[in-house]
Amino acid sequence: MRVAERTTHDAGAPAGVPTEPAVHTATRPYRRRGVNREGLEAGRRSTRTLLWVLLAAAMVLYGFPFLYLLFTSFKTPIDTIAVPPTILPREWTLENYTNALGRSGVLASFINSVQTAIISTVLSLVLAVPAAYGITRYKTLSGRIFIMAALVTRMVPPVAIGIPLASMMASLGLADTPVALSIAHTTISLPLSIWLMSSFFEAVPNDLEEAATVDGCSRLGALWRVVIPVVSGGIAVTAIFAFLASWNEFLFALLMTAIRSQTTPVVIANFQTQFGLDWGSMTALAAVYSIPVILLTLLLQRKIVAGMTLGAVKG
Amino acid sequence: MSSRTTISRITAIGGLSTAVLLAATACGAGGPAATSGSAGASTVNVLVEAGGHAELTGVAEQCKKETGVSANFVELPYDGMFNRLSSEFSSGNVSFDVAALDSVWLPSFKDAVQPIDELFTDEAKKDIFPALVKEANVDGHFIGMPAWTNAEIILYRKDLFEDAKNKADFKTKYGYDLAAPTTWKQYQDISEFFTKDGMFGTDVKGGVETEWLSHVLQAGSPMVLDENNKVVIDNAAHKEALDFYVGLAKSAPSGAAQVDWAAAQNLFNQGKTAMTRFWAHAYRQIPKDSPVAGKVGAAPMIAGSAGVGAVPGPWYLTVPKATKNMDAAKKFVKCAYDYNSMGIESSLGLASRISAFEKYQDKAGYESFKPLIETLKGNATATRPATEKWQQIVDTVLVPMLQKAVAGGDSATLLADAKKQIEDLLK
Repeated sequence: MRVAERTTHDAGAPAGVPTEPAVHTATRPYRRRGVNREGLEAGRRSTRTLLWVLLAAAMVLYGFPFLYLLFTSFKTPIDTIAVPPTILPREWTLENYTNALGRSGVLASFINSVQTAIISTVLSLVLAVPAAYGITRYKTLSGRIFIMAALVTRMVPPVAIGIPLASMMASLGLADTPVALSIAHTTISLPLSIWLMSSFFEAVPNDLEEAATVDGCSRLGALWRVVIPVVSGGIAVTAIFAFLASWNEFLFALLMTAIRSQTTPVVIANFQTQFGLDWGSMTALAAVYSIPVILLTLLLQRKIVAGMTLGAVKG
Repeated sequence: MSSRTTISRITAIGGLSTAVLLAATACGAGGPAATSGSAGASTVNVLVEAGGHAELTGVAEQCKKETGVSANFVELPYDGMFNRLSSEFSSGNVSFDVAALDSVWLPSFKDAVQPIDELFTDEAKKDIFPALVKEANVDGHFIGMPAWTNAEIILYRKDLFEDAKNKADFKTKYGYDLAAPTTWKQYQDISEFFTKDGMFGTDVKGGVETEWLSHVLQAGSPMVLDENNKVVIDNAAHKEALDFYVGLAKSAPSGAAQVDWAAAQNLFNQGKTAMTRFWAHAYRQIPKDSPVAGKVGAAPMIAGSAGVGAVPGPWYLTVPKATKNMDAAKKFVKCAYDYNSMGIESSLGLASRISAFEKYQDKAGYESFKPLIETLKGNATATRPATEKWQQIVDTVLVPMLQKAVAGGDSATLLADAKKQIEDLLK
């Protein structure tokens, strides 16, 4: 038997052992393969179904509070405090939006929130990207200590540093300014940004930089022209986290802002007074306040997905 | 590209971005800076709890017309205000010239605020409720001018009380006419009578302490601490008050341990309870689309053996020692006293001067004012003990103890435990 024939029909059979008729040997492997394929397909289907169920459960779990907030923002005052509570409004109204957006200082607080979040995000990225690059590329003891120390700062309760920070900013003449609040917010987002960026830089093979160096790039040139474009998805992810950390932050804003730089989370909290809680207006303003973040996330969705899968390119 | 070029590009971009952002944010969007004195000698920054702005808006307008002092308001949520005040007072660098303080905070901040004795003239002292005059005086000096005050009164469902069938049934069962209660026995009977068909006669609030403390005052004892700061929470009056308070649970919705002001207000506004003991401002805050809107009556807090007693809830305007605008700040506080009645037209609808409440008491929509005045003038009405540990005592001892009591705990044991805990806190 020629090698080719043996490979096709008698694969695995020892030489010299009589083989079954060709008709049988030709059909059996196909049938077995078909059965495997069906089994595999069924397994995939059930895994997919399970994943969809889990995804739906997660969506409900995470999405319900937001949906409830949204529905509450369209309820009449008595509906918002119904006992037992209702999910959908019995009567839809835009009155809460009129009240919330007509309140003095709301527009200014939006502008302040945007300013603060942008400055804080830029500061975080400007500091975190080179720090993370240095830590991952120059693997030194001090780098390892630095990154651990950055993590430790996240373990301190914000209220413990909020009051000293507020005093420091006041001493520097920065009281009640978005700059002071941005710096305070950067203390929250910077450690996270350094850790995130470090993991993204780790995923980029050194070969890429070496190739760029061979092509005439300096180290910083390689970082700028090769590494940063590769980790742009990661930078988008980090930027979103830094932006969100600042956008939703409440405690530092409460301690450090007043007339000039009060951000929207404080204004939202102001709907709760000692004498009552205006659920409708509070949820209306919260719903409006979440729109920019939703838009930003949708806008950067592709980059975020790319950032999440960045580890896949590690060589 | 050389590394030098790259560095210069990064530096240039970073520098430019930072400069643009810093320039853009040199001033926030909210208006002038909130640092004491920075807005000029004739402008004061006034720190108020959220909602307090509305109370003082009319006053501010009048003050500007009369004295030329204008006001910028800084509103903060109640829960964060104490931290903010602590932070600024301790740093000695305040962003406000006038601060509205909750009465329970006065002892904590007494050293950080200016005496304003000159504003407490004899005439002023006659026009402020006696309990408030006493509370504003800390260590021999008046440190806060009451801006508005409140007290618990009885709110009841007028429509149910006037219903012919209810009246007849009640008379048959209890032998006297159904009307707004004037004794605690009547309150118990009425609560029991209306507890049927998914409705309850009253509520029992396990999540807040003030209401139980009102019963303590009515029973003739000081609240928790006597005048020498000795803990008296285990005396007979406290036990009697606690037993009565818990005893109403059979005519109240279940889960009393979790019922706080918001829950009790919701239950009443939804028409689930026939009566509630609640802060007087709630009378004017019943939503228009509530099933009880227009059907609510108000009555004074009921007297115990020591007379009518309640715990007032005033806010005081204070002037920080660290303000750079002392004169203008004091002028604003005086305006707030002079034009105190203007707060009544606001959404909260409260004032602090007796004459201000009396001016409105006969007007339609202000039916809660007469009962409020009577309650605030009550023989047994008294403010909370003047200790800076009070909030801690409330949060860590009184409320947990009440929650255990309404869940069925033994009152004597709970009060004895509470006494020990409070003594430990005060050491």
